[in-house]
Amino acid sequence: MLTFTLRRLSLFVFTMLVLTMLSFSLSFLFPGDTVINHSGQINASAEELAELNKSYHMDQSIISQYGAYLKHILNGDFGLSAVNQSSISHDILKLLPATIELSLVALLIAMLIGIPLGFVAAIYHNKIADSAILSLAMLGYSIPVFWLGLLAILFFSIGLGWLPSSGQISLLFEIKFVTGIQLIDILLSDSPYKWQAFRDASLHIILPACVIAVAPATIFIRLSRASMIDVLASSYIRAARAKGLNFRQIIFRHATRNALIQIIRHVGLQFANLVTIAMVTEVIFSWPGIGRWLIESIYQRDYSAIQSGLLVLSCFIFIIHILIDFIYAGLNPLARGNKYGS
Amino acid sequence: MAREKVYLEEVFPSPFMQLWAIFRKTPVAMLGFCCFTFLVVLAIFAPIIAPYNPIDGNLDMILVPPAWHEDGNVSYLLGTDDLGRDMLSRLMYGTSLTFGLSFIVVVFSLVIGVVIGSLSALTSGFKSSFLNHFLDVVLSIPSLLLAIIIVAILGPGISNTVWAVAIVFIPQFIHITRYAVKEEFRKDYVLASRLDGASNFRILYYSVFPNIVERLMSQATLAQSAAILDIATLGFLGLGAQIPLPEWGSILANGLERFYIAPWTVYLPGLAILFAVVATNLVGEGIRHALKLRKDN
Repeated sequence: MLTFTLRRLSLFVFTMLVLTMLSFSLSFLFPGDTVINHSGQINASAEELAELNKSYHMDQSIISQYGAYLKHILNGDFGLSAVNQSSISHDILKLLPATIELSLVALLIAMLIGIPLGFVAAIYHNKIADSAILSLAMLGYSIPVFWLGLLAILFFSIGLGWLPSSGQISLLFEIKFVTGIQLIDILLSDSPYKWQAFRDASLHIILPACVIAVAPATIFIRLSRASMIDVLASSYIRAARAKGLNFRQIIFRHATRNALIQIIRHVGLQFANLVTIAMVTEVIFSWPGIGRWLIESIYQRDYSAIQSGLLVLSCFIFIIHILIDFIYAGLNPLARGNKYGS
Repeated sequence: MAREKVYLEEVFPSPFMQLWAIFRKTPVAMLGFCCFTFLVVLAIFAPIIAPYNPIDGNLDMILVPPAWHEDGNVSYLLGTDDLGRDMLSRLMYGTSLTFGLSFIVVVFSLVIGVVIGSLSALTSGFKSSFLNHFLDVVLSIPSLLLAIIIVAILGPGISNTVWAVAIVFIPQFIHITRYAVKEEFRKDYVLASRLDGASNFRILYYSVFPNIVERLMSQATLAQSAAILDIATLGFLGLGAQIPLPEWGSILANGLERFYIAPWTVYLPGLAILFAVVATNLVGEGIRHALKLRKDN
């Protein structure tokens, strides 16, 4: 396990270096002056500009410039937003938790719906239930997420009036910012209307989270179906059947666990996909997250915000990826060997 | 009855023809294939078939509902939008933008990916291992996110979107070609033609490509369904096709403000995207299914 951890850590450091290098080079690729792209200070006077040039080592070699950029980032200084001159790191800290909350809830929904359906499809392999679930999965995989979001708003918010269509919580409730993850913040607060607020926030999260969950859920269906079919064809299941275990015992005691392990391995990869879908969904549901903020910065050509937003978002995806690798290795002793190190 | 074939000759169809024979027997796959062909034809001939110009509005005919509605007008079969532009014509022109461009993009990335992939399959050592790790990192980034990053660098617009999506899809074709070519090179028939003195390129062209072409096609259908969704999503977000281009995603975004009074301006482009993606996916599923059956035989 120690070698595995060290390997993962070295991969982490290496990837972080590549990502920061990418984000650093974006400042050169974007139109405009490099140091202004770095810092976002568009109205800087001549003295301030000289100061900035000095702090980003603009007169020195490119490696030294990269070092200075890295130092700024490690100090949590992402520069200012070119649009309203507010601190980007402050904005990101405020917005990222909302995205984390939304995507984790969506991931949970996708797994809770997708994996059991996939298992059912595998158990009834080549029967009607199997093809029905597969066709459903194909449809869910093909629906454009923005269209699905609009239909969901039209049906559930406007037609039936069950669920609110935009935002994170009703404006009536005032929740103090602690972790940024709204549902936890509400539970931590000591407001007398705590439970009403909790109910309201949960109602707000259901619709966007379900819309995001549709596409990943269909992928989980395919993954879990494939892995369950593999497991059911393996010899230890045949041995269990030969011992006289009934169907229920075979599925729940023997097959499910081993099939689940294979799925967990893919969760990391699916999470990246899910966050991208979440970015689009945040725009439709006016969710105050980092995806909506990033897309708005692209409209406004706010280069320093785009650069830092991408860096933070890709770091977040990558950290989750590594975490899931660890969970997988913890559950499956076979994965801890050298085979999966890189 | 006259027997035309006197001698019993054993005919071995090429791998591709075997695949087609199995593919043809799957009704769902054929349905997808017909829809796919229909879309291709529509994309090419949209300017000839479309009844109206997609950009010129008729201000006397604003927000006419589709013809089956009681206020509908049969000369505007699918209704009009907020500037009196015919929805049917816009959707037809949109086929050549969303579907046609995604098709071209995938073919472009396929060609570049296959060239780089097969060259890299012939190399080994450090270069090959570097490429392997690099591809693993790039492939783990979702295509839409990468396309958004590239559009952020290049700036919004339909041509930039096309470039972004094309760049995004090259790595996966490199990966699959590389993998498939390496696998084929280990087989005996390649060894046989090598013993005949064939050069690497000759083996690649005459022996390996005919055997991997359907795997590439299956990957291409996957890529195209993703490309349609990516182009439409970028159009919807306002980063892709700009007003007044009738790209499906941007038609949908355009109808958003009048969602409640004119829902057809949102339903129809969404259905068009769904139709195109499902048709592409059905073809892909059909190919994969046929590949599996051929392998089993």
